[in-house]
Amino acid sequence: MLALREFQTALRRALLERDTQSLQVLLPEIDEGALAADERLEVYRNNVFASLTEALKETFPAVCRLVDERFFAYAAREFISLHPPDKPALIDYGAQFPGFLATFAPCRNLHYLPDVARFEWLMNVAAHAPDADAIAPDALVSFAAEQAPRLVFTLHPSCGYVDSAYPIDRLWRANRPGADENTEINLGAGGVHLEVSRRGAEVVVRKLDRAEFAFRDALGAGIPLAIALERAFTAQADFVAADAMSALFAEGTIVAASLCPVSGEQV
Amino acid sequence: MTATERAETFAEIAAAIGVGLRSPHFRDVAACRPTIGWFEVHTENFFGGGPPLAMLESVRQEYPLSLHGVGLSLGTASGLDIAHLRRCKALIDRFQPCLVSEHLSWSVADGIYLNDLLPLPYTEETLAIVSNNISTAQETLGRRVLVENPSRYLNLRHSAIPEPEFLAELARRTGCGILLDVNNIHVTCTNLAVQPDDYFEALAGCAIGEIHLAGHSRVTRGGAELLIDDHASIVSDAVWRLYERAISQFGLVPSLVEWDKDLPDFGTLIGQARKAGRIAEEKFAGHARAA
Repeated sequence: MLALREFQTALRRALLERDTQSLQVLLPEIDEGALAADERLEVYRNNVFASLTEALKETFPAVCRLVDERFFAYAAREFISLHPPDKPALIDYGAQFPGFLATFAPCRNLHYLPDVARFEWLMNVAAHAPDADAIAPDALVSFAAEQAPRLVFTLHPSCGYVDSAYPIDRLWRANRPGADENTEINLGAGGVHLEVSRRGAEVVVRKLDRAEFAFRDALGAGIPLAIALERAFTAQADFVAADAMSALFAEGTIVAASLCPVSGEQV
Repeated sequence: MTATERAETFAEIAAAIGVGLRSPHFRDVAACRPTIGWFEVHTENFFGGGPPLAMLESVRQEYPLSLHGVGLSLGTASGLDIAHLRRCKALIDRFQPCLVSEHLSWSVADGIYLNDLLPLPYTEETLAIVSNNISTAQETLGRRVLVENPSRYLNLRHSAIPEPEFLAELARRTGCGILLDVNNIHVTCTNLAVQPDDYFEALAGCAIGEIHLAGHSRVTRGGAELLIDDHASIVSDAVWRLYERAISQFGLVPSLVEWDKDLPDFGTLIGQARKAGRIAEEKFAGHARAA
């Protein structure tokens, strides 16, 4: 007789990994009756994979439409075996799916697919992010002017940034439920720099120019102002810092400001 | 029964019947504000913030709410995930639900979440573990938790204690209530060749805090018939009969119709709740007379 902890490890491995050793331990423990033990286990395995696949499909609907349901189910099955959820809340599940798709050999020719997945993940994050109150520009008066380079901003938790060499926003739009199936998208039409955020209850997608993207993406990653500005100027020499800052405040994107002591010394 | 008594009984029954609320139906509730006693949602679907929480706030302003957990994993041998429990507690504090429930099952092992209600061997060891976990949950949440009988597809050879007796003992040790899912009784009894009578006998003295009703499907595996608890259809006749019996025995317990997959239009779901109300009315009158 297995201790409960051993039983649970064995069942987890038998269901997710079809681990032979675990199956050998478990199968003799199961009452068969009218149905073989492995058939009984299979019901649970189906439940686990079907429910997690469904969760991924809800988070990545455009990816699913782009590759079709059968391929999606196949990819999801591989993904679930390799990266099962580590938290018992499915709104947190799928962050690693875009990275998985980038390395999944059967779809390696679909170079745009991981980017579409990244985009959909950000939409999921934006939809479920907590609310947060924006700060006004005068919240910065408590900092001295010479501290400005070391300012670190916290952006609204719904904000995310993704860029791609492909027009992933159009790919996504063309693969929404009810979209015209005959829409043709020129994959060579050029890349995009996107911001995903939530305004009120609505998830909003905006195209940014190269410099604004570099700036906001850096701030969102917690990089100090001076370095974020440097990245923006590198992307586009005509970047106007004051305009970019006032836009962020006007949109209510900044929810906190603090000083970065360590990297600030190096600025 | 006088007209006034009848009206009071009717109001009591209407207040007792609820439906499971899933996000595609939020809009229907906001638009038509149905006459229904209460709503139940899955706790973990509201662990994020933003619009889902705002929707739930607006529902809560007008209806009692029940929080039904699917991820706490009361059966996990290594103990409860305290971070998860705290997230539950935060929601409970915010929404002040009338009922809080979880399952007699497990879904987490070695830090991995399987998103299914997996079966437990009903042994003395399991009894000690689950009792301990329920007590931790009740202490942290500061309230009584209802524990639901799961639908099962297998039984373990070393599972020595029948499920209903196991549940009754959990209630005795921890003071938890029971969420009696009559669809799960039907599914489990059919799949494992057990008698529903056992549940009604063993749980006779227990605090039944809630009843669940749902649909199941029938499949054939290896020449044998198996019922799958998929919450994807109307409640079957066999399950309605168990519901009649439950109301006759346990009285007017808050009752909920669940539907999770292939969601119907909201009217169909409410129709199932109305049917539960009619049965409750009929059987509860009988129960009241017998009492």
